[in-house]
Amino acid sequence: MGFSATMQVTEGVAKITLSGELDAEAAPAFKAEIEKAITQRPRRLALLLDQLEYVASAGLRVLIFAKQKLGGDVDIFVVGAQPAVAETLRLTGFDYAVVMLKEYDAAQIEAV
Amino acid sequence: MDPVTVPATLDSLQWIGRYVLDAAARAGLDRSRAYRLRLAVDEVATNIITHGAELGTASPTIGLSARLADDALTIALEDSGPAYDPMQLPKPEGLDRPLEERQLGGLGVYLAVSAVDRFEYERVDGCNRNLFSMVRPAAQ
Repeated sequence: MGFSATMQVTEGVAKITLSGELDAEAAPAFKAEIEKAITQRPRRLALLLDQLEYVASAGLRVLIFAKQKLGGDVDIFVVGAQPAVAETLRLTGFDYAVVMLKEYDAAQIEAV
Repeated sequence: MDPVTVPATLDSLQWIGRYVLDAAARAGLDRSRAYRLRLAVDEVATNIITHGAELGTASPTIGLSARLADDALTIALEDSGPAYDPMQLPKPEGLDRPLEERQLGGLGVYLAVSAVDRFEYERVDGCNRNLFSMVRPAAQ
């Protein structure tokens, strides 16, 4: 199935769309997009996960990296996580560190 | 399903995942339980691959097999590296702490062991053997 991650920044909101399977082999590709996003100094990060079929701890570690590098003022939104992915985030306590949304809520994510 | 041997490299993970999902389908596991089994095997396989690479003692291959009994499916993952028992690794700390303060260690094994109905580690004939079992749905 493979994996892809693409990043765009619009008005200070960095959006990374993930698709496929995020295992330890794929994690560096995700990390590269996070690093690109960080250089843009976004005020928010939104991870769009509706095409993400699978996540392993290597992927979660990149999330920790993102939070640490972006700092406490930058909220991270996790949008459209599939049930099994959402369950992994809950099991490992990540749901407390990010805002989990079923759909992209521009009002919330893009608010100034 | 026949046992297989794959290189102990990260690009084998997708292959291992397909093998486990195939076995899970044959065992009649539902989607959620198949996902969990795949996750558990993936996490331990990842540890075998990366740990061996770090130590420079990598076992060149990983053996993978599936045993389908009436009541359960068991996946076995084997490697010939130094003794490496996932249950002896440090447990993750601070799952309730803010992400900025989180420790990185132990997450993978925690996910692996919580995901399956039964996990066992054995050291046999100079090999590490990791066994992941999921109970099959009751026969209709």
